[in-house]
Amino acid sequence: MFGSFKAGDKGKIVNISNVGRFVQRRLLDLGITEGSEVCVKCILPFGGPVMIESCGQCVGLRRKEACLIEVERV
Amino acid sequence: MIGSFIIGTAIFGYATWALVKFINKSKKGKCAACDLEKSCSSQSQCGSPIK
Amino acid sequence: MEIALIGNPNTGKTSLFNNLTGAYEYVGNWSGVTVEKKVGVFKNNIGRLIDLPGVYSLNPLSKDEGVVTSFFLDEPVDRLLNILDASQLERNLHLTMQLLEYEKPVLIGLNMVDVATNRGIQINTEKLSQILGVPVVPVVARSGKGCDRLIEVISTSSNHSKVKKHVYYGKAVEDAINKISIELIGKTEHSPRWLAIQLFEGNEYVKGYLSNLIEDRKLESIITQLESVVKQENSHGKSLANFIYLKRKEMIETILDASVQKISSTVPLSEKIDNIVTNRFLGMPIFLLCMYLMFMLTFDWLGTPLSDVLDGFLTGPVTTGFESILNVINASDFIHALIIEGLVAGVGGVLVFVPQIFILFFFISLLEDSGYMARVALVMDRIMESVGLNGKAFIPMMIGFGCNVPGIMAARTIETPRERLMTILLTPLMSCSARLPVYALFVGAFFAGQKALIVFSLYILGIFVALVLAKIFTKTLLKSETSMFVIELPPYRLPQVQSLWRSTWDKGKGFVRKAGTFIFAGSVFIWLLSYAGPNGLKVDMDDSFLAAIGNLFAPILEPIGFGTWQAAASLITGFLAKEAIISTMNIIYFIPENASLQGILSDFYTPLAAYSFMVFILLYIPCLATAATIYKETGSRKWTAFAILYALILAYVLCLVIYQGGKLFGLV
Repeated sequence: MFGSFKAGDKGKIVNISNVGRFVQRRLLDLGITEGSEVCVKCILPFGGPVMIESCGQCVGLRRKEACLIEVERV
Repeated sequence: MIGSFIIGTAIFGYATWALVKFINKSKKGKCAACDLEKSCSSQSQCGSPIK
Repeated sequence: MEIALIGNPNTGKTSLFNNLTGAYEYVGNWSGVTVEKKVGVFKNNIGRLIDLPGVYSLNPLSKDEGVVTSFFLDEPVDRLLNILDASQLERNLHLTMQLLEYEKPVLIGLNMVDVATNRGIQINTEKLSQILGVPVVPVVARSGKGCDRLIEVISTSSNHSKVKKHVYYGKAVEDAINKISIELIGKTEHSPRWLAIQLFEGNEYVKGYLSNLIEDRKLESIITQLESVVKQENSHGKSLANFIYLKRKEMIETILDASVQKISSTVPLSEKIDNIVTNRFLGMPIFLLCMYLMFMLTFDWLGTPLSDVLDGFLTGPVTTGFESILNVINASDFIHALIIEGLVAGVGGVLVFVPQIFILFFFISLLEDSGYMARVALVMDRIMESVGLNGKAFIPMMIGFGCNVPGIMAARTIETPRERLMTILLTPLMSCSARLPVYALFVGAFFAGQKALIVFSLYILGIFVALVLAKIFTKTLLKSETSMFVIELPPYRLPQVQSLWRSTWDKGKGFVRKAGTFIFAGSVFIWLLSYAGPNGLKVDMDDSFLAAIGNLFAPILEPIGFGTWQAAASLITGFLAKEAIISTMNIIYFIPENASLQGILSDFYTPLAAYSFMVFILLYIPCLATAATIYKETGSRKWTAFAILYALILAYVLCLVIYQGGKLFGLV
């Protein structure tokens, strides 16, 4: 799960359908969906959001949404 | 004396006009201090209002 | 000829717009600053260029994306200028494919080729053009390179894409598209293929449009039929929308394989900066440090010294200049007082703050242009989330520090209606630049040693109150479960000095213009009210009309420390524009040459009362322009009235606590 990733970890998205509909759609627009390779850039403290990067594109999203994305480590 | 009269009328005239114009512009919601309104021909496309 | 400029957010659309039309537009660097439709005329007069908000798809998710879809459905457009970010082609092409399906002539401007090259990406523009069937012109929007060629190509190419069908969606979908096309024969000018594909992707706007042309039942049946076929044929059980997306993606990958080469990969500078700025531990402190520096420069180090110089100039040479002229033409006492005690005092009183205002606007522009604003949203999200808001809501608030009106408009990029409404209601609590003069005046008079600190405390108080209220609102009036936070973090950009200057100048210019118009007018009438009274002209201020009006409200203000008619009158004028407060005060407390305003103020306020007054001004009411904007953005009288009322009550209660509480503690 994305939740256990640390800054600098890379992964490939296996399943994104558990994520909220709107968030999923927005991520899709940004090119992040199943099969995308993402890298965790940073995790903000106190349960704050995470910054992930995919294909040179940086995106911020909430930790609890990120935890719903299934990834396999790369 | 006449000088005072002319100056006075000019000032009050301009002031009234500026005031009216400002209130009208403000009512329309455009930022009276915003310069964008000249080049910004925005037609309200706000969609459905928040209920 | 109507040409629409369309592309993903952060592709440099607005820079390109400026280069093509010769008109300067306000450029911001985070997703969604260009939220209004802007129209310009092409440099060579071939037609109008319409700058649409940045969107990822013609199927809208947020309100400003809806603007684009509505535009495509309802408004005339002859050609499309699609701007792409060369370093993000795959993502950008999804929109392009949809535009090509719209079947109007398209021209592609390939922007940011330099960023792509830095990332080791090389694009064969001819091949790309060939595959898509439309002209592709590389440009560097920031510098204007390639724009002439672009204009040339737009003027000449009027052909539709040489490629007819861009994406083949599989038999089932294509059949359904045909069914829809048949239903639409003779009913619409739009491409039936485009309409059908958008419909199947779940575009509500298009669905609404189509239900006026095709019977609802028929529409529904075609859709449901197609959905079940697609589900059957695909092992993943994906939705129809997803299926279409994937088909498009396949095509895009084919296109990219043929036209794009990836050479090497280096870590961009942006990432290195982000490692520091969004660092777990450093993120928030860095942000606070930036804010602090901003304040110190605006007040202590740079702004106030410059302001003092300007003040000296206005009360010295300018005043004496006017005096001489008035003496020469033998002006009457009335005119003399009108000009010196009314205009110079009122307008001058506001103009002296131009240095501080400009510095403040400069920093806001810098934050936006550089891309740091998006990072701020990220860093602040945790706190915002805990009060029921969204990191994205912090940006309208930051803009609100300059002027509440564009701040409120920036809330359009917040996707959830509840969060958007709350942001709109709370932005007026952000201390706008027009309130600055009052603070500067009072801190100068009462807190000379800790100017920046006191003002900083006011700004923080505004934020703090907003957060507390957000929490309260979330629990009571605006309950809801949904909250959404996804934010694109564009790469950092070193703002070009020229664009930064113009950005600052545009904002600051408005301030000066307001001084020359509204403040001028206001000063004239305020002065008149202070000069005339029930007993005639040239009365003692205490017997003037202004005093009479002020005295009506003064008793209410007594418990919060400033129960004088002067304070009341100033506050009333503040509803029209916050700068007017200082103008009014300058007229009321008109100073003979050598005395100081600080001295006079001490007669009317204690330091505690001064602080209470400043807090009142921070909170008490949105100005007329802000209130009107709230009405325009919410479309609701109820919420606008609420915004005004809650502010009044909040200000009064808080000041009561501060003043009475302070007295109890012997802080007078």
